[in-house]
Amino acid sequence: MLTSRVISPSFLPLPPTASTSSSSFSSLRTILSPFLAKTQLSYTRTSRMASSLTARAAANKLENADELIDSVETFIFDCDGVIWKGDKLIEGVPETLDMLRSKGKRLVFVTNNSTKSRKQYGKKFETLGLSVNEEEIFASSFAAAAYLQSIDFPKDKKVYVIGEDGILKELELAGFQYLGGPTDGDKKIELKPGFLMEHDHNVGAVVVGFDRYFNYYKVQYGTLCIRENPGCLFIATNRDAVTHLTDAQEWAGGGSMVGAIRGSTQKEPLVVGKPSTFMMDYLSNKFGISKSQICMVGDRLDTDILFGQNGGCKTLLVLSGVTSLETLQSPDNSIQPDFYTSKIADFLSLKAATV
Amino acid sequence: MANGGREALTPQAARSLVDSVDVFIFDCDGVIWKGDKLIEGVSEALHTLRSLGKKFVFLTNNSRKSRKQYAKKFSKLGMEINEDEIFTSSFAAAMYLKLNNFPTDKKVYVVGEEGIKEELKLVGYESIGGPEDGKKSIQLESSFFFDHDKSVGAVVVGLDQHFNYYKLQYANLCIRENPGCLFIATNRDSTGNLTSLQEWPGAGCMVSAVSCSVQKEPVVVGKPSTFLMDFLLERFRIDVSRMCMVGDRLDTDILFGHNAGCKTLLVLSGVTTLPALLDPSNSIHPDSYANDMSHFVQLLSQ
Repeated sequence: MLTSRVISPSFLPLPPTASTSSSSFSSLRTILSPFLAKTQLSYTRTSRMASSLTARAAANKLENADELIDSVETFIFDCDGVIWKGDKLIEGVPETLDMLRSKGKRLVFVTNNSTKSRKQYGKKFETLGLSVNEEEIFASSFAAAAYLQSIDFPKDKKVYVIGEDGILKELELAGFQYLGGPTDGDKKIELKPGFLMEHDHNVGAVVVGFDRYFNYYKVQYGTLCIRENPGCLFIATNRDAVTHLTDAQEWAGGGSMVGAIRGSTQKEPLVVGKPSTFMMDYLSNKFGISKSQICMVGDRLDTDILFGQNGGCKTLLVLSGVTSLETLQSPDNSIQPDFYTSKIADFLSLKAATV
Repeated sequence: MANGGREALTPQAARSLVDSVDVFIFDCDGVIWKGDKLIEGVSEALHTLRSLGKKFVFLTNNSRKSRKQYAKKFSKLGMEINEDEIFTSSFAAAMYLKLNNFPTDKKVYVVGEEGIKEELKLVGYESIGGPEDGKKSIQLESSFFFDHDKSVGAVVVGLDQHFNYYKLQYANLCIRENPGCLFIATNRDSTGNLTSLQEWPGAGCMVSAVSCSVQKEPVVVGKPSTFLMDFLLERFRIDVSRMCMVGDRLDTDILFGHNAGCKTLLVLSGVTTLPALLDPSNSIHPDSYANDMSHFVQLLSQ
């Protein structure tokens, strides 16, 4: 119903000029500077439109798995709905990953789920019997910390976190000071006369992700920081509407918490998780791989597949997660991956069929 | 009166406004009071307008209280205002359901406070949720299944200081899974002067949270939707141009006035500052503006 709104544009500090910081950071900044310049345009909802403007052909059912496997050097896998569902491994995953590794393929795991750190995800993989290195895992919690590093976010400034442990751990590893997180979930406010909520004026960024302890206190704290601390950044780990936190059903996702802060600040966040290409740029720089040598495998069109398309790599949709064939082929859907198949284990069975 | 809202109200313009208007529609937060404190000079200002034969109603997007509870608030602040002179977004939500023949055998899930529940009850609807769900939390073990009432036919979302993940998820499931479930927002104000000392997140925050998870836009019943204007026109039976909306927020109060076709007066005693009003990025302009109610009325005798 609102026909016009007074919305302040979100802004980012300009990346600092090359300084005497370590070469890995300055080269990272160089790689990322075009990303940073285009960020305001790309990392709002308009990123969704980019794909529909280039009318893509309908996705092909994956027939020749070998051909796809041979054409790329790296596979990026989403986790929920691709590798596992809740705490259950999807059928055929270990054998598929082993096969790809035996063919010399690099495997990377990129998840928008910010509740765990890379280390904690490493443990989850281990518990499920998969041998995956922590260095191969990129969660949006890590992405938030990596983004702050890439812009040389000052170590004497603080980060207010509306989110869970994963974000706190990654910030700590990167050497940033933080406030908030799960313990603020116990804080209550009383809208009584004379009550004034104070906030730390040294907070220079608010990072918002999935938060099961979300409450009014956190919304107000985050809002005060963004509105009143000059230059305070508003960073979203991701904007997923729903997420498969248990295998039985879908749950309101990080997009809700981000939406709440957008609603109270009327500002757009910088998004570091899919479909933003931040993590793609980061890992292609880190591993020295070109995007045409990558295949993104995911179960969600508006995050995984759009991420792959925005990044310029091949895309494969698996139907083992949130997207059905009906949704993919619906006239309302404008996001077409290059290929689709039922699950990643099809790499083994389709391969066998072509022998 | 072609000053386009970029010039302050002058004494002449103030007199002209009052002559051309029979009914003043006042927003409450930031116009009449801030939190629990009356804004200085408001009582006298209203008294002056009444003595000039003007009628008024109060139109607030704040859904935390019912009309009855607001009448009590006015009374505590020393003003005798009748319940039926007050229109709240909580009332609007209940009326919307009633006028659209929402069946009484269906339930309403409320992401909001007592005001909404009370107004729904007054028109005969059963509601679940509300403040008590603020104490509920969720478990994310693989065996846990979050159940929801399949007879919920509408979710009403408003300002909720007890907002939490449980309510968000409950609303998400009802809207996604109960066929035909309505998604109604009392309003989408981003912030409000809920206490006298600072602004607080408004219903816009809770509504955006739910909207982002269900990927649907709600029906908005409060300002700037003109839904409540129909009730005012019914009550006063005058031409809409003889009404003036007095508010402190551009994208709700003043936009409501534009949408409805009545006159608009912005007061700077609430969420909007003069720089924000005059900023080139602002595209919503009231007919004129004054510092506050007291200033507006003082201009009449200058």
